[in-house]
Amino acid sequence: MRALDEKETTAVFEKLFKFVGNNLKNIVEKPSHEGSDGTTQGRYCFRLQKNKVFYVSESLVKRATNISREKLISLGTCVGKFTKGGSFHLTIHALNLLADNARHKVWLKPTTEMAFLYGNHVLKGGLGRITENTAAGDGVVVFSMADVPFGFGIAAKSTQDCRKLDPNGIVVLHQADIGEYLRMEDDL
Amino acid sequence: MGKKNKIILPPQLPPDIADDEIEISDEDLSFVKENKQYAGFLKTLDTKSINKHVSRVADAKEDTLEALYEKRIKKKKSLEGESKEKENGIEVDRVDVLPVKTLDGKLIYKTREPKVNEKEDEGAADNDGISNSLLKLTKPERRAKLKKSKKEAKQQVKDAVHLEEVQGNSQAEALAEIKEDLSTEKLFEVKKNKLAEVGMSLLADPEANIKSLKEIVEISKDEDHDVVKLGLLSLLAVFKDIIPGYRIRLPTEKELQMNVSKAVKKTRFYESTLLTTYKAYLQRLITFEKKSSFRHVSVRCICTLLEAVPHFNFRGNLLAAVVNNISSEDDAIRKLCCSTLKSLFTNEAKHGGEATLEAVQLIAEHVKAHDCQLHPDSIEVFLYLSFAEDLGKSEIPKDVKKEKYNAKKRKKEYEEQKKLQANDRKRSKQELLEKTREEVDADFKAASFTPDVMERRRMQTDTLSAVFQTYFRILTHTVQSATSRLLYNRIQTSIFNISVRIIFIPEFVIRLAAFIGGFKEDPSIDGFRVGTKSSTSSFFGRFGAHPLLAPCLNGLGKVSHLLDIDFMGDLMNCLKKLACAGSNSDGSLEGSLTVSERLRCCILAFKVMRNNLDALNVDLNEFFVQLYTLLLEYRPNRDQGEVLAEALKTMLCEGRQQDMQRAAAFIKRLATFSLSFGSAEAMAALVTLRDLLQKNVKCRNLLDNDAGGGSLSGSIAKYQACASDPNQSGALASVLWELSLLRKHYHPVISSAASTISNINTAQNQVYLATTTPQQAFKDLNIEHEVFDAKGNLGIPNKKNKIIFRFSVSAVNADDPANSYKVDEEDLKRKFSEHFTVLRDIGENQRLRRELNRTVSSVRLYEE
Repeated sequence: MRALDEKETTAVFEKLFKFVGNNLKNIVEKPSHEGSDGTTQGRYCFRLQKNKVFYVSESLVKRATNISREKLISLGTCVGKFTKGGSFHLTIHALNLLADNARHKVWLKPTTEMAFLYGNHVLKGGLGRITENTAAGDGVVVFSMADVPFGFGIAAKSTQDCRKLDPNGIVVLHQADIGEYLRMEDDL
Repeated sequence: MGKKNKIILPPQLPPDIADDEIEISDEDLSFVKENKQYAGFLKTLDTKSINKHVSRVADAKEDTLEALYEKRIKKKKSLEGESKEKENGIEVDRVDVLPVKTLDGKLIYKTREPKVNEKEDEGAADNDGISNSLLKLTKPERRAKLKKSKKEAKQQVKDAVHLEEVQGNSQAEALAEIKEDLSTEKLFEVKKNKLAEVGMSLLADPEANIKSLKEIVEISKDEDHDVVKLGLLSLLAVFKDIIPGYRIRLPTEKELQMNVSKAVKKTRFYESTLLTTYKAYLQRLITFEKKSSFRHVSVRCICTLLEAVPHFNFRGNLLAAVVNNISSEDDAIRKLCCSTLKSLFTNEAKHGGEATLEAVQLIAEHVKAHDCQLHPDSIEVFLYLSFAEDLGKSEIPKDVKKEKYNAKKRKKEYEEQKKLQANDRKRSKQELLEKTREEVDADFKAASFTPDVMERRRMQTDTLSAVFQTYFRILTHTVQSATSRLLYNRIQTSIFNISVRIIFIPEFVIRLAAFIGGFKEDPSIDGFRVGTKSSTSSFFGRFGAHPLLAPCLNGLGKVSHLLDIDFMGDLMNCLKKLACAGSNSDGSLEGSLTVSERLRCCILAFKVMRNNLDALNVDLNEFFVQLYTLLLEYRPNRDQGEVLAEALKTMLCEGRQQDMQRAAAFIKRLATFSLSFGSAEAMAALVTLRDLLQKNVKCRNLLDNDAGGGSLSGSIAKYQACASDPNQSGALASVLWELSLLRKHYHPVISSAASTISNINTAQNQVYLATTTPQQAFKDLNIEHEVFDAKGNLGIPNKKNKIIFRFSVSAVNADDPANSYKVDEEDLKRKFSEHFTVLRDIGENQRLRRELNRTVSSVRLYEE
């Protein structure tokens, strides 16, 4: 377990920024309840453990040092992992973090919820609602109409283009959804 | 002349005293020495000029002065004699009329004579100068008499310090003047009669008497203003009546050379005379429009003409004149012009829409020329434009038919080709038939009065494009000045395509210069604009820095369904900039918009989105953020509560589904809001709040007396009241304690509404109708508030009961027992006294505690 180096930090932050925009500040500066002894508020930090990136409170990091690196499997919230090629991918575990601070949202119609949870892209026909001025390439968090976060992805079309899109056109490219907890139980 | 002869006598000087004789006391001397500042003015006195002033008459013309005094006395005597004679003459029968006692104690006996005169006078006026001779006699007499009696009174008082007039001269003067007056009056009458005569003859038979039009024009060139005005107005009446229902086209040279019948000649002459005089008349009107004395008359003439005969020649000039006055500083003129344009827009059948197009284009130019610094009225006229949307729809089946027809024809041709081409004769015959049919069609079109659908559509497109152009110009202008005064965009270079939705044929897709985006720094333009702004904004300043913005936003809301989707993004960006404008420029009032204007922007954004909902359901997060912050910036007297209520309605009540976090944040903020403002605002907020709670079941957690919110509150564990983003406020972690305070609100309606809302969770029957919108609630309470106040001041108990009864009727939910507010005065008194006793007790308690603390601490100190 170690802190991220500069290159890794920029990679992680750039990815997160796509989804949360200026709310990244909230993620970094979020006070932790764990380990706060009344006088000093604890903070959260990012830690790398075996190519996975974790979002952990500082007090937990201190306590985790008792466990050897090989034996430590997970701590805090996993937000993503570095591939062999060195690029950073967000994983489904980061969903809550993203959903709380999301800048662009997409709401799914109830009929298409299942389709998305099986790992498919979001089509125009299944679009219940979309945040205004989403640009193509922005990170989008996918919600159900009852405001339950389902997953996230990348906007394939801007809000303007969505209007003219035919119902079968792809609006959001799938990246992760909560169906993965069942589908890929072993990998996670 | 009389005035020049007048010599003003100096006031009587104090008796001359030689300088030596004046004794100055020691006290005075010492005073002057002590207060040199006081005496300073003595040095600066211009003794020369004072001397000159005082001794002007006395030194220079002593002789004349004496003569004057002598004259005066003589005149007095003679006058007195005269008047006595008169009085003797008048005292014919004292029995008839009671005498009048003047201020100086003289008795004046009225005789029948003046009465007769008066009668005659009236008669003269009625008979239009028939008895002018009589009038001539009687008037001067009466005037002279009046003057004399006045003089008498003055001399009786005897405090005439200076001589007013040289009497003899003045009388002659007065007489001459009166004569002049009379002659002009007579002349005026004569001219008036002439005008009436000529006008009547013209109206009776315009063709025969067309020449007399010129006569009226001649008369209207008179020196007398009244005559000119009368002439203009009578010409207006005549023209309004005789102008034909078609446009006159003057015959060409070639046509003139041709031999024509007598009747045609006559008509031609008639038309050409009419046209030339009309032209001359209009020229006069337009020149007069610039002169202040004729302004009202000429503008009224122009407006009436435009309203009555918009199809006739020279419409362009009339329109130009009207549009120029559309934002006149004179209220009457502006109202007249605006109402003319409105009627022009609403009665399009009169001119087939051409005038509308021209007028709209002219207004667009006007707005451009004045850099959007005009009176709001000038843009409000656009609200009266009507665009027929089904104009295009009727065309679709036609096109389809045509295609079918074409297909059939092709088929036929094909078959024909298949057939032998031998029957050439037959084909040529068919061609001929088709040709004639086309000709007949064209003729029919020309003859029929129904305007061509395509033509009308083209005109509508142009009109719409001009309207949008104006609106967008205003918007961009506001954006420019609001965001940063240094940022200016290149209007000429950035051209966007706006295709208006009515038009779906590609060749009619209009290209419109929309000036959104593409900012560029250009300080030279900046300097120029600031210069013009400062000069014009003085008048329109009372409408804020952007007088045209509010009507522009209203107008856009009305025609937003005609906007093309492609353009909507730009419009949204623009509105977003405007809505954010106030918060960005901190402190400096120069470019920022008022809260109402920003609220209007939000409303418009929602309207545009809703009108185009068929395309996509878009979540306008940014505008919600703006509304969230605007709720805090709202001030009841500065900003328009109606706009706020409308915003609440369009954004929160009518929106489909809300984000839970956001809804909770709005609920919390609205509750806080309703605590801090008047009853009308509070009610509007409460109605919205109830609506939100009804829609969002999860947000009812706020009503539970259990802070924390649990897992629902998301990442933010604590409510942040000042957060600017509703999503980040963590409102679900809070409790709606405001409602329990509002339950004790002095206004019964509000307190009942608050208690209904707080019971929303437990009450099983949630089927009651949510009929009242925030707007309605605001309006009701705004009026009721006034009534409430007024009656409250009167303090009549039974009236109060009545009002309270009405309140309980209009209460949102009447099933609550808390509604029974049969409060009478004594009850109120009792409650108040209880309240104040409690307050006093609390104060006392605190004081005692403080004392106790102090003693305890001192005891401890002592022990230590």
